[in-house]
Amino acid sequence: MADSLITARNLTRRYGAVTALDALTVQVEPGITGLVGANGAGKSTFVKILLGLVDPSDGEAEVMGHDVVRERGAIRALVGYMPEHDCLPPDMSAAEFVSFMARCSGLPATAARERAAEVLRHVGLFEERYRPMGGYSTGMAQRVKLAQALVHDPRLLILDEPTNGLDPDGRDEMLALVSRTGREFGISVLVSSHLLGELERICERIVLIEQGRLLRAAPVGALTSETGTLVVELDGDDAAVATFVDTVAAAGFAVQPERQRVMVELPVSTTPEHLQQAYTVVRDAALTANVGVLRLERRRGHLQDLFAGAA
Amino acid sequence: MTRPEISGTATPGTNASTIHDLGYRRYDGAREGARGAFRALFWQGFRAMFGLGRPFKAKVVPVFVTVVTSLPALASVAASGATQGQLPITYANIIGAQVVLFLLFSAAQAPEMLCRDQQHRVLPLMLTRDVTRTQYALARLLSLFTAMFCVALAPLVILYLGEIGVAKDPGATFATMGNTIGPILLFATLLAWVMSSVSAFLSSLTARRAYATAAVIGTFLTTVVISQGLQDLAGMSEATTKMLDPMETLRTTAMQLFGETKRWMELTPPPSVWVHVAELTLLGCAACAGLVWRVRRVSV
Repeated sequence: MADSLITARNLTRRYGAVTALDALTVQVEPGITGLVGANGAGKSTFVKILLGLVDPSDGEAEVMGHDVVRERGAIRALVGYMPEHDCLPPDMSAAEFVSFMARCSGLPATAARERAAEVLRHVGLFEERYRPMGGYSTGMAQRVKLAQALVHDPRLLILDEPTNGLDPDGRDEMLALVSRTGREFGISVLVSSHLLGELERICERIVLIEQGRLLRAAPVGALTSETGTLVVELDGDDAAVATFVDTVAAAGFAVQPERQRVMVELPVSTTPEHLQQAYTVVRDAALTANVGVLRLERRRGHLQDLFAGAA
Repeated sequence: MTRPEISGTATPGTNASTIHDLGYRRYDGAREGARGAFRALFWQGFRAMFGLGRPFKAKVVPVFVTVVTSLPALASVAASGATQGQLPITYANIIGAQVVLFLLFSAAQAPEMLCRDQQHRVLPLMLTRDVTRTQYALARLLSLFTAMFCVALAPLVILYLGEIGVAKDPGATFATMGNTIGPILLFATLLAWVMSSVSAFLSSLTARRAYATAAVIGTFLTTVVISQGLQDLAGMSEATTKMLDPMETLRTTAMQLFGETKRWMELTPPPSVWVHVAELTLLGCAACAGLVWRVRRVSV
C-alpha cells in the first residue's frame, strides 16, 4: 500500500531462544499512532527494526515505502528517534548536543546551530540549554531527547516511552507537546507506551502488541466506542435501589447492581428503538422505586478492557 | 537560573502559548549527507581528544602529555642556541623516551570517545542518522590518529625548526638536514597509527572507560614482559624479541630513521627499517580491522 507509513509483513526477531517479535504483520497510517504493549511485548524491538538498528530475523518492513534493510540511508533522513533510555552525555550542554546531532544528520554547522536553538525553544528549554546536561531534571532531559529527534525536521517521529519517569504534570506537558508536534506540524508520530490511558488521549490509532504478536490495530474511536451497557447512578436508600433493580430485571434486562450504581445490559444489537425502550424502563422503574436518577449514560469502552480481554 | 522541577514551566495555559508562539519551523536548507556527518563526527572527536569545550578534568591528560613531551625539545633547542653547539639530545633518543607518554595519551583519550558513546548510549542516536557503523568507527579512529599525530609531531618539529633556527647559517644547515622532515613525518605517522588503532580497538570492546584504559596500558606492557622474558629465558636475540614489543619496535625504527645507533644494534643488527615500518603498519591495520568488526557487532 503506497500511502501507508509503516508496513510490516511477518516481521520476526529472535534473540537466541527468545522470540521478541513473532511474525508481526501490521500497517500504520500517517497521523499519531500509539504502540501499546506490556514491558517485553516487543515494542522496542519493533522500533529498532524500523530504525535499522536491529536486523529482522525474518519477514520484512517498510517505512514510507523504503525497505528497512536495503534502504536504510533513505529512512534515516525521514525519521527522528527518541530512545527510551538515557542518551545525554552529562558534560555537554543541550545546545551543543542537539546541534551535534543535527550535524550527524548532515546539516551544515550554522544551520545546525540555528535549528538546535529553535527546536529547544519549541520544546520549552531556554537559558538552561547552555548548562551541562548532567544537572538536568528528568523532565528537561526528556525535552532534550525530543528536541534532538526533531532537529533535522523528520517526517516521522518514533518516540519510545516518552513519558517514562515523569511526574503527572511533566507527563501532561510531554503529551501535549507530542500531540501538537503531530497535529500542527504535519509530522507523523509513532509513540510507544505501556500506559494505555495516555495514548488514548493523544493518538488517532492504536497498535496493540503482546508477546511479539499483533493483538489489534484500530482507530482509538473504534476501540473505545460505546458499549452495550447503560450506567445508571441512583440517589436513594438500599431498599429503594433493590426495588429499582427488581423492576428493571422484571422488564427483561440483565441488571448488575453496584451499590448506588446499576449496570443495565442492553440487547446485543442495539437499535435506537431498543435504546429508547430501555430509557423508558429505567425512568418508570425509578418512579416506581422512588429513587432519584443522578446519571444515565452509555458506558464507553476503555483500552484497559482490551488488555483485560486479551489476558 | 535553576528550575526546581519541570512543571515549573508555569501553568499549562501560558506554557502552551509560549511554545505555540515560537512554533516549529520546517527545515528545507542544505543537507550534506554522510560526508557532512563524517566531518562533524571527526571534529567533535578531535576536540574531545584535547578536552576542548569540556570541563577542566578532561584537559588534564592531553595538556600534561603535550607539555611534558614538548618541554625537553624546547629546552634542548634553548641549550643549543645558548652554546651555539649541537642539539644535546638526539631525535631518536628524545622520542624514544617519550613513547610511554604517548601511550598514556592514547590510553586515556581513546576511551573518551569510544567508551563514552557506548556508556551514555549516544551511539544508537548517531546510527539512526547519516552515520553507518563503519563510518562511525573510521571517523573516531581518524580523530584519535590525528590527535596522536599532532602530539607526536610536536617535539620533533620543535627540534627540527630549532636546529635550523639557532644555527649560524640556517641555509647551510637546512641544506644538510632538510631531508630529516621525511623521517619525522613517517615516524609520527607510524606511532600515531599503531597506538591509536590498538587503543581504539581495545576501547570499543567495553563501555567502561577505566577498563579500556587499563586494557590499553596492560596490552602494551604485556608485550614488554613477553619480549624481555623470551630474551632472558629463551635466549632469543635482542633484535628479534624487540620486534614483539611495539614500543621497542617504535624506538628501533626511530633510531634507524634518524640514522642513530645503540650498542645492541651493533652487536645484533636489527632487520631493515622497512621491515619495522611494515610490521607497525600491519599491526595498526589489524587493530583497525578489529575495531570495525567490533563496532559493526556491538548491540545498541
